[in-house]
Amino acid sequence: MDTIRIMLLVLTVMTIPLRLDALQEDDLGKVTYDRWCSECHGVDGSGNGSAAGFMLPRPRNFTLAQYQIRTTASGDLPTDQNMLDAINNGAPGTAMPAWDDLLSEPEKQALVQYLKTFSRFFPDDEVPQSLDFGGSTRTSEEVVAEGRRQYEAIECWKCHGDQGRGDGESSPTLVDDTGFPAAAADLTENWFFNGGDDVEDIYRAIRTGLDGTPMPNFSDVLDAGVITEEELWAVAHYVRSLSPEEVPGISEVVQARLIEDLDVPRSVADEIWNETEGVYIPLVGQIIVQPRWFNPRVDGVWVKAFHNGEDISVMVRWSDPNNSPDQAWSDWKSQVVTTMEPKEGGDTGIGASPDQLVVQFPMQMPEGMERPYFLKGDSRRPVYLWEWKSDRQTALEGEARGVGTESFQAEGQDLSVEGVHKDGQWQVVFTRPLLTEDENDLDFITGEAIPMSFFAWDGDNGESGNQGALSSWYFLMLEEATPTAVYVAPPLAMLLAGALGLLMVRNAQKREKENI
Amino acid sequence: MSKHLRHPLGRAVLVLLGAYVLIEFGIAYLPPLFGIPSGPVPDTVLFQYLGTVVVGILIWVSDNETRWSEFKAPLHKVMVEPEKKRARLALAVIIPALVGLMTFNQVKPSMAAPATLRSIHPAPPGQIDFKGETMELAGLENPLRATGSMEEHYESGREIYVKNCMACHGDGLAGRGHYALGFNPGPASFQDVGTIAQLTESYVFWRVAKGGPGLPNEGAPWNSAMPSWEDFLTEEEIWSVIIFMYEQAGHEPRTWEEEGEH
Amino acid sequence: MLVLKKIEKLAAFTLVGSLLMVGCGGADSSDSAGSSSAASEATAMENPVDPSTAGNIVGSVAFEGSAPAMDAIDMSGESVCANKHSGTPMVQTVVVNDNGTLSNVFVYVKEGSAIDGMQFPTPSAALLDQDGCVYSPHVMGVMVDQEITIRNSDGLLHNINATPTEQRGFNSSQPVTMETSQDFGTPEVMIPLRCDVHGWMTAYIGVLTHPYHSVSDGSGDFSLSTLPEGDYVVEAWHEQYGTQSQTVTVTAGGTADVTFTFSADMANAVVPMGTPVDLHDHSLVTDQQ
Repeated sequence: MDTIRIMLLVLTVMTIPLRLDALQEDDLGKVTYDRWCSECHGVDGSGNGSAAGFMLPRPRNFTLAQYQIRTTASGDLPTDQNMLDAINNGAPGTAMPAWDDLLSEPEKQALVQYLKTFSRFFPDDEVPQSLDFGGSTRTSEEVVAEGRRQYEAIECWKCHGDQGRGDGESSPTLVDDTGFPAAAADLTENWFFNGGDDVEDIYRAIRTGLDGTPMPNFSDVLDAGVITEEELWAVAHYVRSLSPEEVPGISEVVQARLIEDLDVPRSVADEIWNETEGVYIPLVGQIIVQPRWFNPRVDGVWVKAFHNGEDISVMVRWSDPNNSPDQAWSDWKSQVVTTMEPKEGGDTGIGASPDQLVVQFPMQMPEGMERPYFLKGDSRRPVYLWEWKSDRQTALEGEARGVGTESFQAEGQDLSVEGVHKDGQWQVVFTRPLLTEDENDLDFITGEAIPMSFFAWDGDNGESGNQGALSSWYFLMLEEATPTAVYVAPPLAMLLAGALGLLMVRNAQKREKENI
Repeated sequence: MSKHLRHPLGRAVLVLLGAYVLIEFGIAYLPPLFGIPSGPVPDTVLFQYLGTVVVGILIWVSDNETRWSEFKAPLHKVMVEPEKKRARLALAVIIPALVGLMTFNQVKPSMAAPATLRSIHPAPPGQIDFKGETMELAGLENPLRATGSMEEHYESGREIYVKNCMACHGDGLAGRGHYALGFNPGPASFQDVGTIAQLTESYVFWRVAKGGPGLPNEGAPWNSAMPSWEDFLTEEEIWSVIIFMYEQAGHEPRTWEEEGEH
Repeated sequence: MLVLKKIEKLAAFTLVGSLLMVGCGGADSSDSAGSSSAASEATAMENPVDPSTAGNIVGSVAFEGSAPAMDAIDMSGESVCANKHSGTPMVQTVVVNDNGTLSNVFVYVKEGSAIDGMQFPTPSAALLDQDGCVYSPHVMGVMVDQEITIRNSDGLLHNINATPTEQRGFNSSQPVTMETSQDFGTPEVMIPLRCDVHGWMTAYIGVLTHPYHSVSDGSGDFSLSTLPEGDYVVEAWHEQYGTQSQTVTVTAGGTADVTFTFSADMANAVVPMGTPVDLHDHSLVTDQQ
């Protein structure tokens, strides 16, 4: 009798903490979700949190159980690991951050289970099955060339464009399953790929599609024998090859290389541009003054420069699916403008806006560390601007003493420009003499770090005025002709040091002998 | 070995090495161990400090006649003794080569970005003008902590945060929003013990209300992308977002008592 | 100690298990696996309706008011498709026939106690063709688990993006002339399909547990045949003008005549597309079968 009683007692005592644990785990998912996720994804998981309107793509609606990043078939539910990966890695290029080190392992695990409760589609007993992807083939020139052939054959270019910049013919009409505009991925920026930048991640996206978006799965095509697994892998390798091998690091200085005895390249077609790699400068939405813009199309520009002691040429290139304004994109534009919060004025979506680029410099080279306020300067320290617009053949020089005070010279321009739109990319080359007569123009002095920053607008994405993309201050540095001092000073110093040493030793030895 | 260490020259070399290690690495890496942010020392400053140390060493060795001759003896030996000829020759090559290299580094054109120094938490003004009204910052407490429900303040602060602050400072308050990479300096991480955890709420109010343009010169206002939130938010909204930030990051604001001890 | 650990684990499992059962309304076995086995039985099954006592419903869909102008589709980017059309291809949202009737209206039996619980044989595959960059048919009905052959007759990239609300969808690509097959395991009126590559391409599929569905044709006519005698709620669904329903009595050997009338002023009607998702209903949808 006693034994049974003791056993019962032990069992009861054991179950109490267990039950508490179980409850806590259940709670942990909800507590974590409500604390960190609900403001975007909504307390009810419907993707309609209070910040949802500030984002495009919108936050995931968990009630539909549609997950983009899956190893399972199109339309199937994701595995727990798929969901965990999405939490850990976030969705690059969107507002969804990587939570890997922001949440604890138990919190993330509990979150996965809690997310499932938002949808009736998650069954209790079935475990979603991952597809077998085989193994990646190794990349090679042949594989990439085969991938290019398949890219053309299975018509990836219809949405992603011939050179992969998201500028395909179908791109202006793409919408996600909830009806919001959905941009085709720019395949030249793998660091913004939703679901990862590796060739494996790309292959997974091709095989399983991105549910809820226009990106279909290609497993059905594989199953139908239209394409082989190897060919699909080749597509993934080709897509990977469209982006740089390494994610571009942030470099603060754009070097303008000195080309002596040559004219600076004034055209985007000049071969000399291929001789230098260029610096990547990330751009983000202008969210500092009203009206703010949370949906910039231009997420970065590549900058190159050359000078020859007389003139300087700066080439800026960036992905933009079209040359605005373009009738084919007018629906896109009005949808984006209607969708995006906050409504603080600005573009109404009606009427045509061009694409634009502004390069900003201080009007005078700053003394010490001080420079103009990076957002169009201030009353004490004005900025000097180069403005290019897609609907005009010329570039204007201008100045500003704060946002809204920009003014541009109509006459006596020292600046020339060429802008070319091709394959979803703008290439704009500005050329100007280093020194000008105008006292409101900055003089470009070699060997000095000249502050420089960028503003870019995609007109058909609803961008104009304050609503566009911008960067903070970077530097433009014009290479100096190697100063004579470099050849003279070090040998001179070495000679001097050697002679001094010799003298010292001689003296010491002489004295030593005298002492003896 | 210990004989060498007791020798004045050995000691001098040791002190110089120690000073170098401390200045080059100690200043950058030791304070963060105690949660104090720090950064590497620029080379010019390093040279200046090491110069001071060398002068100190010279004063010390020349202070005493015996020590001075002891200090000189090994140097002297290298210069005169026939058996040290090899060392002499080696030095005759190494020293001019080093001098040449240093000179080259001095005269070659530099393509590096200039160093930007800024004070991360510059001293706040005594009072600010908030939407036309003068606010005394000294001794100012968050008025919401004395009224209403903290939960409601937190909730309204949260909504303001995700709509306005999140793009840069991040969902996780770690300064890693999806716009963070666009700005230099990057947005502050409120998870970091070196930011709001070290500041009074009035200081945070000043920073939020006045943003980058309101920084004094030592804070490099021209680089800061922080908007002046007084143009967007009411006083109460700013106080509530401050409550949210401390609560969400799990920090306590610095109190005025602590500020007084400081 | 080891034994204690094991007991602890066992207790934990039992507890978690029972909590899950309580939390999720119990494990439900009538999932898709269950329905597909029912389907395979049904294939071998005879039609349960006795034709000698059955009746029919025939009718047409009238349209009042002026027919809205149809939007032209710009197919200039797809010459293969453009060449398949003799005239300018038009968006099929509202197709008013020459005789003033409305095409592409899905007419089906929504309720009818006479057919409740009846098991019907699954018909052979239905065809959804993509020909000339339009779906053909534009509106169609199928039975639960009935195979749908999706054909690409154009030989250029189409994707078929099905977005149901009551079951899982799919987004499948067909870059060449090919066929794939799909089916839906849960009744749903209607399931939208779209091609993202060609933004104008849309289609609607109604999925039912019985074969009593029809789509109004080029003369506005529809027919539902071999219904057991009884009262039925018949609903007509249009992608722009919403739904209408009527109660119809079918007598043995008789033919009930029904006319639905849609009008131009219904343009802003609510168009039901499946049942709105109940966020808090976690029971499996297949229960409704």
